[in-house]
Order: sequence, then C-alpha cells, then structure tokens
Amino acid sequence: MNPVVQLVRDGARLVSVFGSRGPDRAVRLHYLLDNRQPDYLSFEFPVVGPVPALTPILPAAAWHERELHETYGVPLLGHPDLRPLVDHAQSPLLEVSGEGVCEVAVGPVHAGIIEPGHFRFSVMGDAVLRLELQHFYTHKGTEALMEGRTPADALLLAESVSGDNCFSHAVAFSQAVEAAGRLEAPARAQALRLVGLELERLMAHAADFGALCGDVGFPLPATFTARLKESLLQASRAALGTRCWRGLCRIGGMARDLDAAGAHTLLQAVQAAAAELASLAEAVFDTPSVMQRFQTTGVLPPADARALGVVGPAARASGLALDVRRDHPSGAYRTLDFKVETLEDGDVLARARLRILEAAASARMIAAALDALPSSAVCLPAPAPLAGDGLAAVESPRGELLYWLRLEQGFVRRCHIRSPSFQNWPALPRALPGNIIADFPLINKSFNLSYSGCDR
Amino acid sequence: MNLKILQQSLASPRVLVPERAWREQGCAGGRMPALVASALTPELAARAAAACPTAALALDANQLALDYALCIGCGRCAEAAPALIAPAAQPTFCGVARAHMVQRWRLDGTPAAAPEPPPPPSDAIHKLFGRALNIRQVDAGSCNGCEAEIAALANPYYDLERFGIHFVASPKHADLLLVTGPVTRNMAGALRATYEATPAPKLVVAVGACGCSAGLFAASPAVVGPVDAVIPVDTYIPGCPPTPGMLLAGLLSTLARR
Repeated sequence: MNPVVQLVRDGARLVSVFGSRGPDRAVRLHYLLDNRQPDYLSFEFPVVGPVPALTPILPAAAWHERELHETYGVPLLGHPDLRPLVDHAQSPLLEVSGEGVCEVAVGPVHAGIIEPGHFRFSVMGDAVLRLELQHFYTHKGTEALMEGRTPADALLLAESVSGDNCFSHAVAFSQAVEAAGRLEAPARAQALRLVGLELERLMAHAADFGALCGDVGFPLPATFTARLKESLLQASRAALGTRCWRGLCRIGGMARDLDAAGAHTLLQAVQAAAAELASLAEAVFDTPSVMQRFQTTGVLPPADARALGVVGPAARASGLALDVRRDHPSGAYRTLDFKVETLEDGDVLARARLRILEAAASARMIAAALDALPSSAVCLPAPAPLAGDGLAAVESPRGELLYWLRLEQGFVRRCHIRSPSFQNWPALPRALPGNIIADFPLINKSFNLSYSGCDR
Repeated sequence: MNLKILQQSLASPRVLVPERAWREQGCAGGRMPALVASALTPELAARAAAACPTAALALDANQLALDYALCIGCGRCAEAAPALIAPAAQPTFCGVARAHMVQRWRLDGTPAAAPEPPPPPSDAIHKLFGRALNIRQVDAGSCNGCEAEIAALANPYYDLERFGIHFVASPKHADLLLVTGPVTRNMAGALRATYEATPAPKLVVAVGACGCSAGLFAASPAVVGPVDAVIPVDTYIPGCPPTPGMLLAGLLSTLARR
C-alpha cells in the first residue's frame, strides 16, 4: 500500500483499483498506476485488516473504492462516501435543501435512443447547483461472467461491454490475453487492428460532432454526420462482411484478412468522409449561433480533470496531454510518430474542436496503414492453454480502455475492465454547476460517456 | 443558418435506399447464419452444434435446431462446418413470434415438424398502426450496440419516417415499445413502469440476442432475463446487433405490412 500512496503523492496517475480472490478465496487488492513510463505499474497486496482509502488524497479513486467495497467487502478507512454503486436500494441520493432549491429527476428511461441512467439535479431557478449520478442500471455482472471461461469465449463478452466501440474492447481484451501468453499478433493483424481502432474513432467523433450541433437546435449537421457514419459502416460491410467490426479481432490476430479491393473500398470511404467532415466543421465553427452555445459551456477545469483522473478527449480538451497511443503504445502504434492534440479551454467547444482534429488524424493514420499493409498471416495458430497475468490498454474513442486479467490453465480466473467512462463519469458533475439545466444534454453529449461501458 | 452548410447539404450525394433494395439487403453485414439443408449430415450437424457458444444450434436425438433468438452471429458454426452454414440473406426470422424463430431439420436435411404457419396478419393492428406508428425505444440493459443500429434507421440512407414510423420521447406518446436487453435487475422496474405508462392498444418488440433470449448474459445473477421475462412481447428481432435491414423487416412484419 505504502508505495502506491507515495507514488500517487509524487504525481503518478491512478489508473485503477480493484479486487480479486486468491486460491484460498482471500481478497487481494490491485492498484494500477501510470508513472509516465510505457509500462503501467501494477501492485497486488493481500487484504489484512482495514485498508486506508486512497480517495481522501486522490478523488480519482472514489468510484473504484466504492466498487471494491461493494463487491469484495473490503473495509476502507477514511473514504467519505461508501454507498454502493450497483445496489440502489442501499444507496440513497444526497439531497440539497434550502429556500428556492428544487430537485429535478431525469431517467433512467431517457427521451432519446440512448442508454439508461439516473440524473438528479438540484437547481435554483435555471442554474444547476449540483448534479448527482445514479448509474449502473445496465450492470450485467460481465466481469464475473468471464470467470471460468476460455479467453476465446470471454472475448465474446468483451465485445458486448460497450457496443458502439466493440472493436476497441475486443482488441484490448485480446492484447491482454496475448500479453499473458507472451504472444505477438502478426504485423498485418496489428496494422488491421490500427485501421479498425482509428475507424471506430472517426465514426464516433463524426457522429458526436453532429449530435452536438443537434443539441443546440441545428439538426442539419447531425443528419450530415449520420450519413458519413453510415457510409463507413457500409464500407466495412463491403470490405469485411460486418458493419461494426464485431467478431473480427481474435486472440492472436484477426479472424479474417482484408483484400486489396476491400482496402481500396475502405480507403475511399474514409477519405471522402474525412474531407466532408472537415469542411462541415469549418462551416459550423463559423456559425455564431453554434459558437455562442458551445463557448464557455460546461467547463471542466484542468485541476479537476487531473484530480479525477479524467482520460481521453475530455482530458485533452482540458489541457491534459494523455493518450495511450503515445504513452503506452502497443501493436502498430509502437512505430508511429504520434502527436497528442490538446486544447486548453475545457468547454463544449474545446471538446468539439478536439474531436475534429482527432478525426482528421485518424483518417490520415488509416490511409497510411492501408497504404503499407505488411504481408504476413493475420492470425497465430491457436495457442496452448495459457496461464499468467496480462494487461493491455488501447485508446478507445472515449479514452484509455484497459483490461487486466489472470489466466489459469487456459481459463480466465479474473478479468478487470477499466473503461474510460467509469473513470470519466464523476467528472461530469464538476463541469455542470453554474450552467443552466437546459444546457445539460449538450454538456453530457460533449463528454459522450458510455453507460454500459461504465456499468459492465 | 449558415448558408455554406445548407449549400453543402444540398450538394451532398442522394443516398436514400429504396424500400425494395433495403428489404433485399436484409441481413447483409449482420453475420446471421442460414443452414444449407441439402448439405446436412449427422457429422456436420454435430460439428456445428459443438462450436456454438450460446446453444443457438442444438442437436437432440435426430434433429438439429437453429434458434435465432440465441444467435450472436459469432460465425463459429460456419468455421466448423463451412459447407453447412451460409450467411443468412432474408430476414424472415425478424418480427415474428418466439416460436417462429426456431427452425428444425431432421438429419437427412428435411424440415422437421414443419413449423406452424405464422398467424395471419392482424387487420386490427394494420388498421391502427399500419400507416402511422410512434415508437418509444427502451434500453433495459443493452451494451448500446443495438441502440447504434436503431439510431441508424433515422439516417438519410434509411429514413424510417418515410413509412410513417417515428421515435417519440415518452411512452405516453407511443404505440410500440422497442426494447433491448438483457433486462438487468436495476432496469426491470423501470421497464415495467414504462410498459404501464404506454396507452393500450400497444405492441412490444424485443430487439437483439440479449432482448430476445438474454444472450450471453442469461446466466448472470445481475440479469433478470430476456424482455419477455418482464413484460409481454408481441414479436422479436434477433441479431448482435440487428442490421437496419433486419430492424425494418421486423417492424414492418409486426405491423403486418408486407
């Protein structure tokens, strides 16, 4: 425990805290840290008596320790809020009282075609004083379901953790298994994984940008980007037989190859979509009614982003230069000269602008990768039953997505999923006070966090 | 309004998929299997069923059953028995009652116990909703994969509104609930309340392998079950996730529009 506290005090970034059970069913504690080196630092301790909570010195640990307490019953000393995350009946919402304070309850069933979650606003007039999140409505016990399965079967579950970025989850899980087994996917598979990851980002960023416009009463760009996203889904179908890249990644490589005609189809679709998105964005950022709504709305101050361990586009739009592709590169990213884009303002506009910059970069990376696909097999032969610990991270469209797993005799003994959304949700309430409640959908969309990815 | 955006939109390519082409595309890209009955042998049937991780393909006594409600389109059956399994083309198993999602064959390739014919299209449903239908989508625990494809129905390629079908913000305005699953313990109550808030007459369509059968999550203690474990379901649209073609076929079939 002590080395973790010291490293955190010295500025290491907390990545995850979770539990596991040893062969004797005794609980073990795990900490993952990023100390600005390519390899994450991993610590494991047996639980002997009460454990001092990290949260008082580092708010980024808050939800991790609540989950640890709920799932493994670990006594945590000094944690300010140990209400369970999943068991809502035992987790009363905090109330703000006072003259003129009203409560507004939203969800879990929302108005759009979106995932369920409950938002409790305390408002004074239009201004939001406080937002409390009640999530984990889509908690499916995914990590527990993986236990006792073969890695190949658990991969199917990893693909269903957060369905709109299923390929990121499949790659992160597969690379964690490969790390445990000291396997290396063939070069061509690594390049195809890069293409899939960047394509997923391009689609997500384009759709998010359009949806942000839709949320300020400007539906035309939303329709426009929905068309761009569909064109990329259809190109994927034509090139690889699947719209969403499900079932393509497997342990040891890729399930199928991309032929020259398929690569050409994908490349053309990506370049056309990227060009249209760039020119759309230029016009949108030149539209005063949009800029007026985006600017200074939902500011996440850099200090809060750092304290809460925020990752991904939300971190980079608040000035934090964090990106797995540069900081912890794997596969084809290791040989890439990658520049992390950051913006300083931390408002909706910064998060919108950042997505446009990153979408353009993704299109360039896809083009470069497709242009120089290494010729090799796309998958290793099925490995012998694996054993050992593995850890792998990818930069998913929402940020750092990490899988840690322990394999025994070819079966998953424990798998921990640290999704970027689990890490980032607690930051949303920090970006809200002082804004009007009518801007909440816009601010929420600018973070675009996954509910199922968080809830698992 | 920024004139440039309007001009750009007007100049963008016309992509609307005609209804017929949309229906013919059907399952493309959805990874659903179809059985090639003429290739059926006991050995291939055993191989394909053994490869299936969700028991969508099941071999009992002398029959092979393919239950689309359970299929997640992983493709392992096609890898194990390529001659026996081909990609499904027509979404005939979308928008039907639960019993009609299961196909059975004897091991010589003849259909077993010919599935009872689907019930005749209901005039009442068609009259009420056939030309104007309001849908409330409810995510009762899904991974968001189904939601992404449901949202795609509104894009300029598919333009679901051309069928008089649109999505509304409240169950009180809805004729049909389009529900994804698996239904988690934390969502079961909200799903029941949403169903009760929807005025009768109402339809419920369960979407996705998880909505139809709880899919990969059936064994989880955090999951109550498929949608029909919590509220009555009229028809089912399987898939992981279903393509926009499967969703359209399923919705039109539910409305008895052919």
